[in-house]
Amino acid sequence: MLRRWGWPLLVGALALLGVLLAIADTALYGPTLGPYATFLIGPSQAVLVQRPSPDPERFIRTRFPERISFGSPFGRLGTMSPVQALRAFLSNGAGLVLLALAVLLLFPNRARVAVQRLESRHGPEIALAAGVAAFLLALGAVALLRFTLIFLAVIPAVIVVAVAVALFGIACIALALGRLLQRRLHLEPVHPLVPAVAGALIVFDLALIPYLGAVALAAVAIAGLGLAVVTRFGSETGWSFRDLDW
Amino acid sequence: MKALACARVRVLLEAYVDGDLARTEPETSRAVRDHLVTCADCRRQHEQAVSLPFRMKALRSPAPPASLVAGVMSSIAPQPQASRAAWGLLVPEAVLAAFILWYVSGLDGLTALASGAWSNLQGLAFWGSGTAPLPSIPVADVLLLGAFIALTAIAAYHLSLLAKLDQTATPRLTEHRRA
Repeated sequence: MLRRWGWPLLVGALALLGVLLAIADTALYGPTLGPYATFLIGPSQAVLVQRPSPDPERFIRTRFPERISFGSPFGRLGTMSPVQALRAFLSNGAGLVLLALAVLLLFPNRARVAVQRLESRHGPEIALAAGVAAFLLALGAVALLRFTLIFLAVIPAVIVVAVAVALFGIACIALALGRLLQRRLHLEPVHPLVPAVAGALIVFDLALIPYLGAVALAAVAIAGLGLAVVTRFGSETGWSFRDLDW
Repeated sequence: MKALACARVRVLLEAYVDGDLARTEPETSRAVRDHLVTCADCRRQHEQAVSLPFRMKALRSPAPPASLVAGVMSSIAPQPQASRAAWGLLVPEAVLAAFILWYVSGLDGLTALASGAWSNLQGLAFWGSGTAPLPSIPVADVLLLGAFIALTAIAAYHLSLLAKLDQTATPRLTEHRRA
């Protein structure tokens, strides 16, 4: 019974945990949002609403919606209620899961190579160390490109490539996490995208942990960047000129 | 069947010993056998040919040297020096990053650098569209520039070491499939 319903239960529990953590993340920081929520949703501001509430009894205990409004993430589009903030969190989670699935769908062979490297001996440590080095390299390169003036225009390309590569790495880490769960919980073999969904939900839940979520997401993103760089975007030959030798 | 000459028999001898001749040309095989009854030289050749497989079977495989396993394992294991360097380079990177952070007065300074780069980018875009003059090259602090150059060089070298370390630590997919 548990073996048969293991995957639906696991995915459902992870999704429910994500919703609960999103609620906690919007509520725990008091009148301001946490770092991850600020990053995703935008800066919050405490305002005093002069007009009376349409239904004063409704929020008698917290009066939360009256005291707080949220700045919009995309420019001056107005304020955002806590419900909208929660919706923004959840849509971000759904976007992360869909992007991870899209990456695995587009590059299955490369994802397999990268996940194999990650599952090998010292794989996570190497990915994390390479991620730190790649991040510092990108930082240094962007700082140096600024002083070249003409090549300044390359900076957005460097950032876009770094984000795309990190996204590929995050998708591979999600798949590896799902496979790890499958092994540890002795779940039955299913379609390979199901463990990837579970892994992406784990990454999303990690990112929503109050206070520590931003650090956890940064660590996963840096490890993903490192994994993609070290495997040359999941290439089977790695960083070698073997492909040119024919 | 016509009797065979010695030269012909010696050519056919191998196929005769292997049994191929009896299968493909039974009459020639019989002729070879008749010839061997009468010819002592060819009979000696036949005896040598027959005894060869037995001699090969009698040969024992040489015992592997005691250092074979250790040698193979050390040749496929990641180089310890490269491994040490790959992890050890995190220290100078951290020192340089901390120095840069201190030199630009923390995260605010880094943010100011990023916003400066963004405004330069905007200036370049406006120059490209012909609505503004070419922005001037930002003034570079030599010490900061040196620190960034050192950080970039060390990080690139570090990545190259980590990539090699990773290649030696894990099997290739093609090898896995072949296995």
